[in-house]
Amino acid sequence: MLKRFLSERPLRLPHIKPYVPRPSDPSIFWFNSERDDVVSDVVKRICTAHESDRGRLEMALNDAAFHEIRRLERQRDEEARERLGYWRSMIRRIGKMEDSEQRRVLHTIVTDMTRDVAGNFDPRVYRFARRAVPRLVGGVMEPRRLTKDLMASSPEALGRVLRVQGDLDHLRYLQNEGSLVFVPTHSSNLDSIVLAQALEISGLPPVVYGAGKNLFTNPIISFFMHNLGAYRVDRRIRVSLYKDILKLYSQVMIERGYHSLFFPGGTRSRSGMIERHLKLGLLGSAVEAFTTNRVRRIDRPVWFVPTTINYALVLEAETLIKDWLMEEGQARYIIEDDEFSQIDRWIAFFRKVVGMRGACIIRFGEPIDPFGNRLDGNGESITPTGRVIDPGGYVEQRGEPVIDPARDAAYTRELGEVLAQRYEEDTVLMSTQVVAHVLYRDLVQSTPGMDLFARLRLRGGIGLDRETLRQELGEARDRLRELEGKGRVRTSDVVKEDTPDELLERALTFWNGYHDSTAATLEGNRVILGDPSLLLYYQNRLVPFAEDIASPEQLQAACEIENLGVYR
Amino acid sequence: MSLRIGVVGAGGFGRAIAQSSARRGHEVLLWSRQARELPDPIRTSTDTADLLDCELVFIAVPARHAVSAAEQLGEVVDGRHLMVHVSRGLVGADLKTITKVIREKTVCRRIGALAGPLVADALAEGRPSGAILGTGFPELTEMVRDAIGGAGLRIYDTTDVVGVELASATVGFLTVVLGYAQEIGVEPGTVAVLATRGMVEISRIGQTLGAKESTFLGLAGLGDLIAAVAGDQRPEFRLGRAMARGADLRTAIGEVGAYVEGIEVARHLMEHAQRHGLETPISSTFVAVAEGRMSSDDAIQALMERRVGKE
Repeated sequence: MLKRFLSERPLRLPHIKPYVPRPSDPSIFWFNSERDDVVSDVVKRICTAHESDRGRLEMALNDAAFHEIRRLERQRDEEARERLGYWRSMIRRIGKMEDSEQRRVLHTIVTDMTRDVAGNFDPRVYRFARRAVPRLVGGVMEPRRLTKDLMASSPEALGRVLRVQGDLDHLRYLQNEGSLVFVPTHSSNLDSIVLAQALEISGLPPVVYGAGKNLFTNPIISFFMHNLGAYRVDRRIRVSLYKDILKLYSQVMIERGYHSLFFPGGTRSRSGMIERHLKLGLLGSAVEAFTTNRVRRIDRPVWFVPTTINYALVLEAETLIKDWLMEEGQARYIIEDDEFSQIDRWIAFFRKVVGMRGACIIRFGEPIDPFGNRLDGNGESITPTGRVIDPGGYVEQRGEPVIDPARDAAYTRELGEVLAQRYEEDTVLMSTQVVAHVLYRDLVQSTPGMDLFARLRLRGGIGLDRETLRQELGEARDRLRELEGKGRVRTSDVVKEDTPDELLERALTFWNGYHDSTAATLEGNRVILGDPSLLLYYQNRLVPFAEDIASPEQLQAACEIENLGVYR
Repeated sequence: MSLRIGVVGAGGFGRAIAQSSARRGHEVLLWSRQARELPDPIRTSTDTADLLDCELVFIAVPARHAVSAAEQLGEVVDGRHLMVHVSRGLVGADLKTITKVIREKTVCRRIGALAGPLVADALAEGRPSGAILGTGFPELTEMVRDAIGGAGLRIYDTTDVVGVELASATVGFLTVVLGYAQEIGVEPGTVAVLATRGMVEISRIGQTLGAKESTFLGLAGLGDLIAAVAGDQRPEFRLGRAMARGADLRTAIGEVGAYVEGIEVARHLMEHAQRHGLETPISSTFVAVAEGRMSSDDAIQALMERRVGKE
């Protein structure tokens, strides 16, 4: 009951002494005054698109009723008791309704759904959060320093753990010239929190983002999410209208100049691999926002910022890889019982990473326009040789900008491919990933022809000579450096600077003591492989580079590893 | 409505596209490195800047010139331009498609690949034929149909761009194999086995590069191969015949008098297949024959002795 109350009516601060935004404040500070306008804009566009065609309108109502009845019948909760009757009665009447009644019902459904999606932004909550969150996180990491950190101006623990890379000056300039759409890789539920912090410490603006409604059931998280611009996405709702609303809400926000964030991977990478197949719905909303503005003669650029979030230790690694390995893993879209929901795992995780230099690196890649072109310092789209072009040309037909959903869908698919490529180039390989790759490759090499699952059952059965491993790690690192020189990938400072021995020990320290299973252990001059699935998870980040960093003897094993990426 | 069409390359196909477009009442500019004379109303130029006003640009150069052509175009074109290529090759050991090259070297995004059994003479003379256009952009399909389609040319479309390009490039190689087989006198049934199983092989490779199997069974693959076997005088087919008569690869290419992209593509395809652990008996055997590592008798024997399985 309380859960539902919180997820549907998140707490807001009273309107006593509301904050009046200043011209220098980020655009989202004005959101609350525009919120109703945004909602009615979305409702109007969705209804207009359906009302002109009775067939389409009737189909949308039937689809909504059918999927909602199915969802509520499964839920069997308070919401089902309240709403099932409405939908059941409606589905019986749709065919008999007059046009005007169908339009009225559509308007009601779309308005209710859009209001449920729309977020809120309270500058007071934002100001509080930007001061408190890093200190609280720092406090969890180092309880002894909590009091000191709460008083100090810059909490050190978080600063040690989180590194931000990229051309931040350029992004700070662009934030005032157009709409920025941050599109990060997605490994952990911590991503939103870590990314918000990275934006904050980099002097970049707060962003609008979609958050799963399941996250709103925690009263504290719900309060912050709801008041910091998050719009709610209920993944249980399969209604087509609802998906249209989500996309259009995102589109309208970008059209109006709000900076946004969404994870094109859609869900956390279960395998640990760099995302290749991106979900295009929300990406498309940003492309269409650009087109719509151009057709309306509004010259407001939309830029995408490919962002990689790189962890040396992933909070939910064990659950994620287990999920990937299970056949039904593909269908398990929302995991509600993983490490993210266990506070003791959070504390263990933060305590583990605090002692480790640069355990998380956020890299803001070079921004691109909706057509994958790079930008010059002034935010102008440029050709590969640096010639300035007008991105408006992409949406023109015979010299006039026009709306063409099929064309924009094709642009979106291409943008997805560009982003996937950029994710590879902007991935920062961490110590644990490099060490895991070398260990896993040795495992593959020593078990030729064995299938993936048989190999994953070999716990503790394989031992490697430490000296050989040292040499292989050094070679892999050297080859990664070469790839880095060609712009194919990046490596963390730790990977660059540590000796192979230090790398190995660092990786073992990260894994052992946090994860329930053991990835590998040292026994004298031997390294004994532990749980291969954990190694698989961490090494999967290197799948696209396996062949490039292998010696001729390791090539076959490397190809086998690369094929994981082809067929999965 | 009249379109402004640019054609890059004054080879047989480039000229045919220009003639076909002009016949349909469009303004046509043909660009080539050396000055050319073409009948009115086709204009010619050696300055890529003249292509700036074109709405649709056809690239009709062999794959080995695609990179430099795309680089030159990259200095002129922008997001307004729509572009189609008709090359039958791939670039480099990593089997890069021509649309990928165009994408890398220019800022054009509305790109497509025209392939299938279409030959230059039929296009130039407006004889009935068919082709397939691979593109994600429906407006490009409409524009290409408007430019060169119509009663004489049926242009089908697919969004499997990479499939069209890979099928088109690999059919070239398969055509060499079939030319060779016919010349050494194998039965029609054996030619059919080589053609269909060869298509399965190349489609298997294509799928690892992102292509759809169905594209290999359509106009870009099987359709094109049927045209080649039916005798449209492809240089690839003649190359295979010349090799079967005992000429080494270099001499055979000299005999044919045209650049054949199929052999180079085949070598890179085999390397790719090997890396991915794919079985490609027909292609691998023929590459061995082409490189002089195996005789034709041994090749046929090796293929016939393989274990037979389900289709």
